[in-house]
Formats: sequence, structure tokens, C-alpha cells
Amino acid sequence: MTFNPLVEKGIPLDRQLRNWRELDVEPLDPDAVDPYTRCRVIVMNGIEIESIMFSHHMARTCPDPEVKRQLAYTRYIEAQQQKVVNWLLPPIASTLETTIAYEQVAVDLTAWIARMEPDPYLKQAYEFGVLEDFDHLYRYANLFEMIERRKARKVVDDLTEVMPGRPTTVHHRHPYDNVRDPYDRNTVDPLSKLHALTVMSAEQQTMNFYMNVGPQYMEPIARQLYVEIGMIEQEHVTHYESLVDPGETWWERLVNHEYNEVYLYHSFMTQEPDPKVKAIWELHLNMELAQLQAACDLMRRFDGREPEEVLAPQLPVPVTFEPNKEYLRHLLGTQIDLTTLGAGYVREAHERFERLQEQIHGDEKPASERVIDMHRERFGGEYRIETEGPHPVESLRRPEDGDR
Amino acid sequence: MTAQPGVDPTDGADVIDLLLAQHARIEELFRMVAASEGESRQHAWDELTRLLAVHETAEEEIVHPLARGSIDGGADVVDARLDEEREAKELLKGLVDDGPQTPDFDARFAALRTAVLEHATREERYEFVQLRAAHPPERLANLARAVRMAEAVAPTRPHPGVESATANLMLGPPVAIVDRVRDAIRTAMRD
Repeated sequence: MTFNPLVEKGIPLDRQLRNWRELDVEPLDPDAVDPYTRCRVIVMNGIEIESIMFSHHMARTCPDPEVKRQLAYTRYIEAQQQKVVNWLLPPIASTLETTIAYEQVAVDLTAWIARMEPDPYLKQAYEFGVLEDFDHLYRYANLFEMIERRKARKVVDDLTEVMPGRPTTVHHRHPYDNVRDPYDRNTVDPLSKLHALTVMSAEQQTMNFYMNVGPQYMEPIARQLYVEIGMIEQEHVTHYESLVDPGETWWERLVNHEYNEVYLYHSFMTQEPDPKVKAIWELHLNMELAQLQAACDLMRRFDGREPEEVLAPQLPVPVTFEPNKEYLRHLLGTQIDLTTLGAGYVREAHERFERLQEQIHGDEKPASERVIDMHRERFGGEYRIETEGPHPVESLRRPEDGDR
Repeated sequence: MTAQPGVDPTDGADVIDLLLAQHARIEELFRMVAASEGESRQHAWDELTRLLAVHETAEEEIVHPLARGSIDGGADVVDARLDEEREAKELLKGLVDDGPQTPDFDARFAALRTAVLEHATREERYEFVQLRAAHPPERLANLARAVRMAEAVAPTRPHPGVESATANLMLGPPVAIVDRVRDAIRTAMRD
């Protein structure tokens, strides 16, 4: 199938505004939903929020009132799109349930993108990050059973394994070591730009979510775990955003944002089993096409360049939610002890890392460790979903693995 | 999977923990009934109806009266919960009378599930959180005993090998369970 976003027209911008009735979507049924449908909703919410915030920042530096008005209009439409997408989340799901779904997104989206990423340095950045979100999933799953008496399997099904990754306690690095080297916008594969924008947007929304919902908990361990992991999500945003070439012009970045939305809505439309959700992906795809055309026109006008110069010649392979268990087990077996030094990766705990670790932890165990200790104490073990056998790292296997 | 054999994960649990665990089991049983058929569906359905009877009675006898008198706007919050419970009970009663073989079971079962799960979410958001804030841990821990008594009177997980028809005969229909559970709780609360 040849689908060229630069040729398709979509729904004209002046017909994209929806009324309250059209914005009032029926939410997903949490007990019947495909976990990956919920993942797609969470991704597209993060993508829309990045688009809105990007547009706000662009408008703040834009001296041309006509362009400002145009940005404001598209941003209003995007704000409606964000509402429709995020309001699909089920009202009866708890915050922690949604948190676990966010971590499932971080695991299976980042793993898939790492697998598909053509550039080895960028691929390494995703492989490094995914082992941390993988560990967060395990910590939150233990919290979930402890304070809500539910099992994370209810959320992730058996699609994503739940077990230790790189321990959260060592994710706290010196901020200098979270800054990666950027790709070169002139030589990089256009697909890599989309990957970087997608993962950055997802992590940014995770950061925003945790920083806002964390204080809603009464249980001290829950409050503290959201503080700790919330701090790491901010590190991850630094990590991923620094991959993007800072030399891209505002117009080029606007085009990349719109193109990425087209790419993702198209990707998710092709794999969505829920017909109501699929219809939303399709509608939004058709809206994004016209938004992309408008962005391309701005780029031609103000940058004097053709969008084709910065975009992929055709839509890349659709981003796909699918289990990445073997890949993750391979990464666990080979990269669990990595940390960062400058813009690179090392296996040794270096001085700057150790100093920050001492400062942040003091003499205390962080919440990410205590949540597992508490779970073991109360439940006689920890919560895991290991569908493919014992943990690939021997030291992270459970003592009771022998009799499972 | 989660707990080691011989470790009771509800050791040290307070009344809210036990009710949360029951909510979790209720969700699981709704899924099991929806995903199974024949005899295994009947087993899951029997356990679900017994558990709902035990659970709602425990809430009506222990948690709602406590919330009514101790949380901000308690009377209104509890009245709203009781209305939801009444609606769910009517749906449940109709289904218990007709049984899982009845032709329109699926649609009515879906309505029951929505009613029960939405009700449970509202309790967790508007009642349980506030109760935890309003009462010292020891008080909530002591009340756990009454819930345990209720569970003991009407065990919701029959021993393996006991056929569901037999289990039903032994336990009686949900209405009889409710009476026995209520008596047990009232006795426990007096002690």
C-alpha cells in the first residue's frame, strides 16, 4: 500500500472543530480492553500533549501575528484531539492501574523502537532506557498489589513480563551524564527523527503524569515511590530530548511533529482491533494530514525549503505494539550493569555517579527498594510475571524459583 | 505466583485491605465467568454470587456505618453507595433466580458487572481513602476481625472436589448467606 502523507489531503482545517457531543467519547472497558489498545491511547495522548506544548513554545518566539493565529487555531484542534484520546481511559481504573499501563507503554514502545532503530548510537540510547522503565513496571506492580490488592496481570495481561530490570536505585545519575550527543539532522535517517520524537514525548508525558498524581496517595510508600520514579522520568526526558539535533529550525520541527502524528495515527489505525478506537485513529489521521499540509506550507514560506528534504520518502513501517520478551531478556542479560558517563556508556561506577548516589540516598534505602521489601514481608514474596522462565540474570532470580 | 505457600497475604491486613482484596477477587471472578462456559462457568458464578453476598453485607454492617459517622459528608456518600448497592442487588437477584444458562444472561451479566465495578471504584475513591485518614490503624485492624468472621461463615472458595450443586445446598442461596453473615458480624462487633 502506498500512502504518501504529503499527497493526501485529509479533512480541511476549517472543518476540524468538534462540538461537546463529538468530544464526549465512550471510555474503554478496562476488563475487556486489549492492553495494547490502552497503550496506543497513552502514546497518542503523550504525542498530542507534546504537539500542544511545542506549539505554545513556538508561538512564544513567533513575532508574526498571522502565524501566531494559525498556530493558535491548530493548537485548539490538537487540544480537542488530546481530550478525545485521553478521555478513552476508563474512569474506573485507578491511578496506579494507569501508571502500570504507562510503564507497559514505556517498555514495549521503547523496545520496539530500539529494535527498528537504524543508527547504533540512538539504538543504544533506547536499549539503555528501556531496562529502566522495565524495572519501574516491576516496582509499581508490587506497590499495586500491596495497596490496592490487585495484580498487575490485570493490566498488562501476559504480554509484558514483570520482573527486575536495571535496579531503580542506580538510575539516579549526575545530570551531566544524562545528556546524549544529538543526531545530525542532515545525515540521519528520517525514521530516527520520528523515533526520537516519539520516545521523548512518551517519557515527557510519563514525567508530567507522575509529578501530578503522586501526591494523591495517602500511603507514604506510594508517595515516595512516585517522587523517586518521577525524578528518573525527568532524567529520561533529558536523555531522549538531547538526541534531537538542536539545529533544526522551528519550521522543520513543526513539520516533524505533524508528520510524526500522521505516522503514529496511521500505524495504530492499521493494527487497532477495537472498532470505535480505530475510527478515532482514522479521523485523527485525516485531521493530521491537513495540519501537516499547513505546516509544510509554513516551512516553504519561512525556511525556503521543501519539506521533502527533511522527511522520509515514504511512511516507515508502522509502529507496532507487540511482546518484546525475548529482546528484553537479551538486553537484561547483556546491558543491565551499564551506566552513563558523559555522552557514552560504561560498566564501571565512576566517581561522579557515586558522588550523586551518596548525596541522593544518604544512608537510606530508596522507596524502590523498600516497596519490594514491604511486599516480601506482607506477601511472603514479590510480585512478578515471568512467562518465559526464570530471570535471565542469575542474581536477580527469586529464591523460590526452584519450586515454581 | 505471588505468595509463598503457607503465607497468608492478609496477615496484618486491616478492614480496608480485606475489602480491597475482595474487590480484586470479584473483578477476577467477573472475568472468569465471562471467559468460561459450562461447569467451570457455573463454579465461577457460584463463587461470585456468594462473595458478593458476603462482601456487600460486610460493607453494610461495618464500613458504611463507620463512614456515615466519621467522614466529611458521610451520610450523603453512604446513601449514594447504598443506592448503587440496591441497583446491583436487583440485577444480581434476577440473575441468581434465572441462572447462567438463561438466554439473555450475557447482557444482564454485563450490566451487573458494570454496576458492581463502578460501585467498587466509588467506594475506593470516596469512602475507603477517607476512612483510612479518619481512623487510627488499630481501629481499622480490629474491624478486620468482623470481615474474617463473615468470610468464615460463608466460605467463598469451596474445597476442591465439592460439586457446585452440593456446595449450594450446603451454603444455601445468597439470601440465607446474607442472614448468617449479618449475624456473625454483629456477634463479632459486640465482642
